[in-house]
Amino acid sequence: MPDMIFGVRTEALVVQIISGLSNGMILFIMASGLSLIFGVMRVTNFAHGGLYMLGAFFAVELSTQFEDKMQGFILALLVAPLLLAFIGLGLETTLFRRIYKKEHLLQLLLTFGITLIIADLARMRWGGDIYRLSRPDELRERVEFLGVRLQVYDLFLLGVGVLIALSLAYLLRFTRFGRVMRASVANPEMVGALGINTRFVSTSVFMLGSWLAGLGGMLVAGRSAVGLGMDSEVIVNAFAIVVIGGLGSIPGALIGSLIIGVVLSVGILSPQLVNYAQALPFAVMALVLILRPWGLLGKPER
Amino acid sequence: MRKVALLALVVVLVAAFAAFPASARQEKPIKIGLVIDETGVGAIFAPSQIAGLEVALAQINAEGGILGRQVEYIKRDSQLDPAVGANVAREMILEDKVDFLLGPTSSSVALAVAEVALENKVPLALHTSNSVAITTTNFNPYIVQLVPNTTIEARSVATFIAELDFTDWATIGPDYAFGRDSYKAFEPRFLELKPDAKIVNSQWPPLAERDLSPYITAMLANQPEAIYSILWGEQLVTFVQQANDLGLFEEAQFVGLFDVDFMKAIGDELPEGLLGYSRAPFYAIDTPEMAAFVEEYLEVSGGVYPSDWGVMIYDAVMTLKAAAEAAGTVEGPAVSEALGGLTFMSLRGELTIRACDHMANVGEYVGITTQDSEYGFPILTDVRYIPAEETWNSCEEIEAIRANAG
Repeated sequence: MPDMIFGVRTEALVVQIISGLSNGMILFIMASGLSLIFGVMRVTNFAHGGLYMLGAFFAVELSTQFEDKMQGFILALLVAPLLLAFIGLGLETTLFRRIYKKEHLLQLLLTFGITLIIADLARMRWGGDIYRLSRPDELRERVEFLGVRLQVYDLFLLGVGVLIALSLAYLLRFTRFGRVMRASVANPEMVGALGINTRFVSTSVFMLGSWLAGLGGMLVAGRSAVGLGMDSEVIVNAFAIVVIGGLGSIPGALIGSLIIGVVLSVGILSPQLVNYAQALPFAVMALVLILRPWGLLGKPER
Repeated sequence: MRKVALLALVVVLVAAFAAFPASARQEKPIKIGLVIDETGVGAIFAPSQIAGLEVALAQINAEGGILGRQVEYIKRDSQLDPAVGANVAREMILEDKVDFLLGPTSSSVALAVAEVALENKVPLALHTSNSVAITTTNFNPYIVQLVPNTTIEARSVATFIAELDFTDWATIGPDYAFGRDSYKAFEPRFLELKPDAKIVNSQWPPLAERDLSPYITAMLANQPEAIYSILWGEQLVTFVQQANDLGLFEEAQFVGLFDVDFMKAIGDELPEGLLGYSRAPFYAIDTPEMAAFVEEYLEVSGGVYPSDWGVMIYDAVMTLKAAAEAAGTVEGPAVSEALGGLTFMSLRGELTIRACDHMANVGEYVGITTQDSEYGFPILTDVRYIPAEETWNSCEEIEAIRANAG
């Protein structure tokens, strides 16, 4: 490896890229849920950020149930997303089901209203304080890899991200459920006419999307502080991601997430860009909107 | 019939008002409105602010109040949001009829609240937020500043660290008024005091950023010998924890805002031998007033030691009391007038409010971190006080800054 690339030590650049990719993986897990729900039900779910925040708060609570940090972490990893899936079930069957065919403004009102309700409930339960999930020591360490010291948690996130991406791809491509889902995206009336229970499909997809939001929240809790406001911060990034990748496209969400993650973490390495780093992801989004308004992997709306 | 009933009602009401003695109305308590940041990175400071305020009010009320009137307070959460801060301040003035305001934690909120204070001619005492803009370009005579402002604080740090051997420095600060103002005051003074030094990298995470690890590795990429941090509150706690995981303190020396609330939150995770600055650490201030305050505070808080913010909010209330007594009224314009040149006894010794910018002559405390303390949390040791007179801008300089900005 050369010592320097663009005036930056190669080692530092690799560290930044891995850090950006692992952050991107969290965003991908979160945004893929948003994209799935939009793809099948055509609902832009603003409350997705609220579900992600709940996932983070639940993870913090669950992780303290065991004395042993590793057991607590595993419990949070398994249970927090599951809780969110059931919250998704409740939301879908009582509220969302009623607005699929309604106008966008009504959908916006409902999902934004739910966002506010979730935020206020979280404030009542957890207050304005900042919380942290104490990771097990094994995940706090750093390992030497090809002469670069990397954080184990970053590598763990990369692993989980790849696993989720592959699982989603398998689900959509090779299972009956996935075929029905894709058919629902292409022609919902036909799917219903064939005698398939579209209600069941909508509910399942909404639960899966909520599970992904919860998983994203749980994973981010292992890395950052947890507190109110996470919901609105992440939803802005999530929309940037689905706009870059293409609304409704899972591979698009993956590419969009990794771009957003890496652009920020590498951007702050450059003395020229550091002052504008926060705006860089949105500059990328604007560029994509100009060149390919339907996103990198999306399809133009008919 | 209805007309008669209405008339009767009016007569009764008028009679009731007339019967209500004027003196009773006079003696209704003085109200203080506390704009407080109870949400986000500043939430960690809120309990000590409230306890410090309660100690001050208990003491004042026990000694007969302000101008013979008892004093009470109400508080509203500004959620670290300037728009919310301005709204709750306005609400407390217009609906709750508060006589004085106590400022928020965040400077960005303080700048918004100061506008409301001016609009409504209600004095605003600041005890935690300290952007210099509020005493220079955004100054209005209704504010009074009891916290070393960003210029005093950052130049004190410059004085402190310029004596050290490190030449390659990186900096990290939150990307808003407080962080940027501090850096603007720090850089020229530091490079003037230590001409061979250079700033090799500066990072500006947003105040809401919860993951600082990419910023830490980006600083380390430039191989600094030491780091000047302008982070505060929970964000600094997150930073130090993540920096521990990333081995930052093995690679570089560090100077940061180590107030008492931070020290309690970080506990034994804070490495020893780091450099710290603090605005009003009770353990390093040896006045009889402080000793008495700590004793009362321990009683009110149930054994918790006061943080810098608890100390400074106490001083802020005492400033308002002294000004109201000098003015002989709680009317805003008269109190504002009385603030300029006011001298009073604070927990940090005798303080004077400078007339040109309503800045108290409060300096900064600097020292070295140690876990060896009698309080159950780390403290700064070998603490040195750097007086405000060595670091603040003169009134002439402030006039020039205002003229340039205007």
